[in-house]
Amino acid sequence: MELAKIERLLEAYFEGNTSLEEEKLLRKYFTSDAVAPQFKVYKPLFESYAIAQEEVSKRELIVSNRNMPFSKLWRYGIAASIAAVGLITLLMFSSLSLSQDEEAALAAFNESKKAMLLLADNFNNGAEQLALLNQFTESKNSILK
Amino acid sequence: MKQNDFVATVLPFKDKLYRLAKRILVSSDEAEDAVQEVYLKLWKGKQRMENYKSLEAFAMTMTKNYCLDRLKSKQASNLKIVHSNYKNDENLDRQIDVKDGVSLVFKIMETLPEKQRIILQLRDVEAFEYSEISKILEINETAIRVALSRARKTVREQLIKKHKYGIS
Repeated sequence: MELAKIERLLEAYFEGNTSLEEEKLLRKYFTSDAVAPQFKVYKPLFESYAIAQEEVSKRELIVSNRNMPFSKLWRYGIAASIAAVGLITLLMFSSLSLSQDEEAALAAFNESKKAMLLLADNFNNGAEQLALLNQFTESKNSILK
Repeated sequence: MKQNDFVATVLPFKDKLYRLAKRILVSSDEAEDAVQEVYLKLWKGKQRMENYKSLEAFAMTMTKNYCLDRLKSKQASNLKIVHSNYKNDENLDRQIDVKDGVSLVFKIMETLPEKQRIILQLRDVEAFEYSEISKILEINETAIRVALSRARKTVREQLIKKHKYGIS
């Protein structure tokens, strides 16, 4: 292809005035090995676009598989959520009754602790009285001797 | 419409959707996800599919919108910095055998504003007619030409600049 034509096409290309056919010509010229030295700078440009067009998606399309049993999927979802809700309520209930038991046990423990303390107090009182009793025997001994 | 018919209708432009998604999102994983999502939406709305004149153009529009949304939500959650780091890695181990100049062009393309990038992708990579691009992007043809010319010139400028530094 003559260089003048390439130059003209390039100019139009950068102004956005080339048709698809002309752009195809440009791409063909620039991806070939016979690029004139003054246009070498544009070579990677058209090469990139050609390479970019060859890129393909590697992942398998799973739309159909994912969608075929859609109603089934829904049913599974509903069943799963019901099961989950049931499990959660069960757990909540069991933990609630456990805490009630614990509370009763705690109350009983506190009650008995109070009773023990009362008992201990009275014991202490008794011990003090015993000290007085000792004095009594002491003075009695001194008199009777 | 049955599954097989659906797949037969939509499969031919799967790679085009993927390339568009990748041009916008850069990451190939994200692009694959986007394509999957678009097909799922298409399948859900398959009853309406006969109404569209060009299913391909419609799917391209969906892909574009979906990817731009993804990009927005990413930027909103401050993932942009991570993303731009990722870009370089992506370029380094690009699987296609690329020369310096070519990977440079890809890098330059990534710096273009999204609209220009999309138009450049549709025209210079996929070779769509202006009328088709206009349908896909819902912009008039004059605006497309202007944006395209701007994009092409930016790429040229950057390329020449780098060329002068002797990188390519």
